[in-house]
Amino acid sequence: MTAGAAARAAPRIGPRRRIAIDVAAAFNLVGSLARYLGLAALLPAAVALWYGEPLWPFLAAGAITSGTGLVLERVTARTRGNVGVREGFLVVSVTWLVAAAFGSLPYLFAGGDQLGHPLDAYFESMSGFTTTGASVVTDFDQLSRSLAMWRQFTQWLGGMGIIVLALAVLPRLRVGGRQLMESELPGPEIAQLSERIRQTARRLWGLYVGLTAAEALALAALGWTGVDERMTPYEAVAHAFTTMPTGGFSTQATSIQAFSAAAQWVIVLFMLLAGANFALLYRGLVKRRPGVFARDEEFRVYLAFAAVACAALVAQVWAYDLAEGEAALRAGVFQVVSIMTTTGYANADFALWPVLPILTLFALMFVGGSAGSTGGAIKVVRHVLLGKILRRELDQTVSPEVVLPIRLNGRPVDERTLRAVAAFVLLYVGIWAGGAAVIAVDSAFGDLGLRAIEALAISATALGNVGPGFGITGPMGSFAPLGDVAKLTMIVLMWVGRLEIVPVVVLLTRHYWRT
Amino acid sequence: MRVFLIGAGQVGSTVVDALHAEHELTVLDTEPSRLSALAYRYDVATYEGDGTSRRDLARAGIGQADLVIAATSRDEVNLVAGMFARREAPQAKTIIRTSEPEYVELWREGQLDVDFVVCPELETAHAISRTIGVPAARQTDVFAGGQVQIVEFDVEAGASPDVVGVPLRDAKIPHDSKVAAIIHGDETVLPGGDDVIRPGSRIVVIGSPQAAQAWSALLAPGGATVEDVVIFGAGRVGTAIARVLLEQGIGVRMVEASTERARRAAEVFPQARVFAATGLDPDFLERERIGQAQAAIFAMRDDTKNLYAASLVKVHGVPFTIAVAHEPVSVAAFDQAGIDVAINPRAVTAEEIVRFAHDPRTQQVSMLEGNRYEVLDVTTRETSRYVGTAFRDMPVHGALIGAIVRNGTAIFPHGDDVLQAGDRVIIFTEAANAPWVIEAL
Repeated sequence: MTAGAAARAAPRIGPRRRIAIDVAAAFNLVGSLARYLGLAALLPAAVALWYGEPLWPFLAAGAITSGTGLVLERVTARTRGNVGVREGFLVVSVTWLVAAAFGSLPYLFAGGDQLGHPLDAYFESMSGFTTTGASVVTDFDQLSRSLAMWRQFTQWLGGMGIIVLALAVLPRLRVGGRQLMESELPGPEIAQLSERIRQTARRLWGLYVGLTAAEALALAALGWTGVDERMTPYEAVAHAFTTMPTGGFSTQATSIQAFSAAAQWVIVLFMLLAGANFALLYRGLVKRRPGVFARDEEFRVYLAFAAVACAALVAQVWAYDLAEGEAALRAGVFQVVSIMTTTGYANADFALWPVLPILTLFALMFVGGSAGSTGGAIKVVRHVLLGKILRRELDQTVSPEVVLPIRLNGRPVDERTLRAVAAFVLLYVGIWAGGAAVIAVDSAFGDLGLRAIEALAISATALGNVGPGFGITGPMGSFAPLGDVAKLTMIVLMWVGRLEIVPVVVLLTRHYWRT
Repeated sequence: MRVFLIGAGQVGSTVVDALHAEHELTVLDTEPSRLSALAYRYDVATYEGDGTSRRDLARAGIGQADLVIAATSRDEVNLVAGMFARREAPQAKTIIRTSEPEYVELWREGQLDVDFVVCPELETAHAISRTIGVPAARQTDVFAGGQVQIVEFDVEAGASPDVVGVPLRDAKIPHDSKVAAIIHGDETVLPGGDDVIRPGSRIVVIGSPQAAQAWSALLAPGGATVEDVVIFGAGRVGTAIARVLLEQGIGVRMVEASTERARRAAEVFPQARVFAATGLDPDFLERERIGQAQAAIFAMRDDTKNLYAASLVKVHGVPFTIAVAHEPVSVAAFDQAGIDVAINPRAVTAEEIVRFAHDPRTQQVSMLEGNRYEVLDVTTRETSRYVGTAFRDMPVHGALIGAIVRNGTAIFPHGDDVLQAGDRVIIFTEAANAPWVIEAL
């Protein structure tokens, strides 16, 4: 063998490479997301400055998050930029865990007895970012204004999505951004608002900011005009921050009951908007084509569903003498819209209601908002498609040869999408049942004595990112008495539910990691 | 007239057979054997060459032609040949054949620079809709690509009092239609507002396909609507048939062996029920009660399959069968086998081309009542004295304007509408008046 031949080695079969995922590249991206996420702590810091409260918990949390992000980015810097479709699932899943960890830091530093425990802090933070609204806080008067605002703000950040925000603002994510965005935005497919994913993300976030501002102004106006004495500008912003993401956190122990009827009606309107498809809202409101609302099948079903459920609940509230006149109407409509869109506000303690209205609200926890909204749960479009799949199945039982494409808005839906919808609903129900079982077992060990419907509702409310449950975990109650295992289960359920199950569950399959 | 024909296949040779006696014909084809077969039978000039080659076209003398017909089986060749014909022989009228109904649409919208486009699939579909579309009709003719129908009905005793037994001015005549003639025994009148339709007479109606259906329902209430037609085959022909029938409000079921084509048909026609099945399986026919259909149409690619399936479906009880015969000889065979109607798409196409070739401006499309009446389809000249005249001011000379076709869309004119140059006018007239009408427009 001559020296020249040795210099250019002959091609040979390579060594076995088992890991199919570029973990370093994925964590590199997570690191840079965390680096920017730390900036979010500036808002509560500003609130703290305004009210003369301690600044350091927020500044420290921001510094720790950005610092960790920076270190993570540096450590994995050599593979920068190799995030493909496969790594996307990992990036999205881990980013949300990291975001919740970041969000829990101020609670750890300044949460005192009720939020100082790491599990409670992480629970509260996960509940915030996933827009669930389940809380372990028992005494709202003890929370500082800045910390309370931080709770609200985490929901607002999580509503339209951290990654969608990053796509809109950061230049780096453009490559492969679409798949990342699809993992984070709710619904089977996202409607493109522009040829460029970045432009779409910007428009969605722009609309989100605009609607939040509109709500804050509308609520604040009630305070200024004296209609609602308690609706200070602080409260207006705080509740706008948790309405638009269908979050449900409130600064008040009695949730929205603390405010006037007018404020409640304003919030109903914005909850309905938050549960609608933002791409549709963009076309209808920003592009001024109101016709799109009437033409959209999901939107029609969404409104029809809300109307029927409102009528049913109002009738029940009336029949059981829970309220009368306008109050009954308001209680029924508010509670239906709040639970159906997975917001989770309450304007009455429905945990004290009889079993029929409780079951009605329980069923609504599975409806969810529209695809492309900030709502959680199964989503209206999946219910529509599942209904069509079932009808076709029955038809094909009689006539096996008949070919029936399923249409949505007149356009045929791809069979793969339909299978994904069916798989999603099965996974959803399975995970809900599994979660309820774990929570029930934990409650049995902890002598908590949860009833069957309470355990089932806790699982459903966490997985659907709704917020309140029934019984002790009702809207005026707290999740604090639950055992650690139950809290941990809820954290997982909230996380899985916010990412619409598949990006997380796919990480559990062998073929995701191995070639 | 000098006629230049590209394509000596089945359509081409039928056109030659119809035109050779009166016109000077030049035929161009790539296949020498086809050309020699034609040359032995008819007195025509033949050239071997490619319709897409401008040099071949020029050498064969396309420049002297008055009429160019591109009738090969390939759309691309016909389109290119039509384009070159425009350049080489600007004075000539051009006809192209296409198998894509979309090109017909384009031509109607004025997007294709040719004088006439004929589509075998569409012509076949229209021919079929003529035979089953209006069940109460004695005779149906379609114009303007199916947008206008002329239908002759027998008025029976049970007909609706909305239109029968009342003067026409008070009758509730279906929208977009006109009564062109009322025939009592030997006497035919072009009716005015005072005339009355009576049971036992016959009437001729001009109107949209929907109006024809409405008339059918009025004159033969109960039963005589077509709601269940089964089409076998969802290829180009089957799809064209389904589209035409569905547009007329006729209920359609489709059977297609290929899963992919069945899926596509189901996506295009949400109103139709599509099955992915061969249609030759007795279990399937029984389970889907195909035998209960009012009529079955066989538009599969293979004549033998069409024949067998039609016989099978007859056994299952379908009273009326229509089959597409791709080979000319199959028409007789289908007839022999008891299929009610056999249609050869190429023959229908050739007929359409010949019709246009006889007179590009005036299409004497239909004769009624033993040649006493004619339906004319005339394009209005710019110099016509009636351009700019409102229809209420038109003279009545035993003629009635049933519809006009403007920019490819049929309009059923009211008194205030005004005739424009370039309008295609569909006129029902006494045969004796026909030359006068043509001259006036």
